[in-house]
Amino acid sequence: MDLRQHPELLDRLASAYALGTLRGGARRRFEAMAREQAPVRAAALIWQSRIASLNELQTAAEPATAVWTRIDNLVQADQAAQAMAQARTPARAPRALADWWRNLALWRSAAASGLAVAVIAVSASVMLRDRLGSQIAGLQAQLQATPQVGYVAVLTDAQSAASMLVTFDPKARRLTLQRVGDYREADDRSLQLWALPPGAPPQSLGVLGRDKLLRLVAGEADVQRSPTLAISLEPRGGVPSERGPTGPVLFKGAVIQPQL
Amino acid sequence: MPVHPDNLLIDLLDRVARRDEAALKALYEQTAPKLYGLALRVVGQRDRAEDVLQETFLQVWRTAADYRASLSPPMAWLGLIVRSRALDLLRRHSAERSHLTDELDDTLADTLAGDSPNPLDTHLASEQAWALHQCITQLEKRQREVVSLAYLRDLSHGELAAQLKLPLGTVKTWIRRGLDQLRTCMTRFA
Repeated sequence: MDLRQHPELLDRLASAYALGTLRGGARRRFEAMAREQAPVRAAALIWQSRIASLNELQTAAEPATAVWTRIDNLVQADQAAQAMAQARTPARAPRALADWWRNLALWRSAAASGLAVAVIAVSASVMLRDRLGSQIAGLQAQLQATPQVGYVAVLTDAQSAASMLVTFDPKARRLTLQRVGDYREADDRSLQLWALPPGAPPQSLGVLGRDKLLRLVAGEADVQRSPTLAISLEPRGGVPSERGPTGPVLFKGAVIQPQL
Repeated sequence: MPVHPDNLLIDLLDRVARRDEAALKALYEQTAPKLYGLALRVVGQRDRAEDVLQETFLQVWRTAADYRASLSPPMAWLGLIVRSRALDLLRRHSAERSHLTDELDDTLADTLAGDSPNPLDTHLASEQAWALHQCITQLEKRQREVVSLAYLRDLSHGELAAQLKLPLGTVKTWIRRGLDQLRTCMTRFA
């Protein structure tokens, strides 16, 4: 039948099709006619968009605040993955890397500026500054008690909450990592620590075990020439350094040389 | 001159397409309650509706660049994503679907009993949604509910009858009359 000769029937079928109550063989026949006859297709599209307006008329409700936090986490991971992917593309490296550094305000080098400036550089808000300030004050006390510590970094997650304290003892060539957040990787994953030297690919400093306190061996040059450290989530056992990170960056932070 | 809400949302979607995180947050603040309300209506449970909202905004983050080609008002485009994610989730949980015994369905039962209205909400609604609103509010309350639910939850006559514990013939009659009335009314806005 040529539905174009029967406008009222066409309208009735199109509205039932759009609502979803036209089912089975009748639905398939209508779809076939819509593929062949533009006016039928047009009627279906008009009714689809009319009926879809029901989506816009439902009563609003307040979602839990945690939903935005979850979305933001995933978006941050997505951004970091893309930044890493760009940084790993050799052909585009110089330019992409430059953009990458510009995008990551938190990663700006604070090495030369001392602790006070570093606190400002890694914090976006007064509240955050206070929180980080007290953490850094605690670290300063720790540093005074252990004068062999040459460098320190507070690695934060996407919400700028401190998640890992990193100290480096150049004499012993020892990196000490202390988990301070409650993040725990899944059993089939490992955290991997990376130095991010400017203008060069990320360099693995080692794969983290599951303990609260972790020690890795590293040369002073590796730490000194990298203003930023980052921790990515990798398959269990980590990935080879030359391949660069493959998973999302969970934590990152500037390396600071304390001016004590 | 006040900015039309559509223009504000379109501007935010354009910025999200350029990977502007602040724009995504602003879009969330503007639209999340409305979209969450829709998700809740489809899936009937708060935690599942929150999963739908999360998936929706991730999809928006990744596909905002496609928005302009849809030629749709922004809330229509966002609403289609929510409904589609919500129906996916319902299908994943289809085993549990037969006993949707939640807060929302209690409200629904009340509405069908004619006790409490389920008011339609035109906040942020596009012009076309306003037109549908004009027409659908002319339907009898129970008819309006059955027509809405058929679309929102993608239910057949038989599934509606089972979920709403109504005779199949009643559901068919309500849907047919409801659509007839909508067709007559919507021609005024064509």
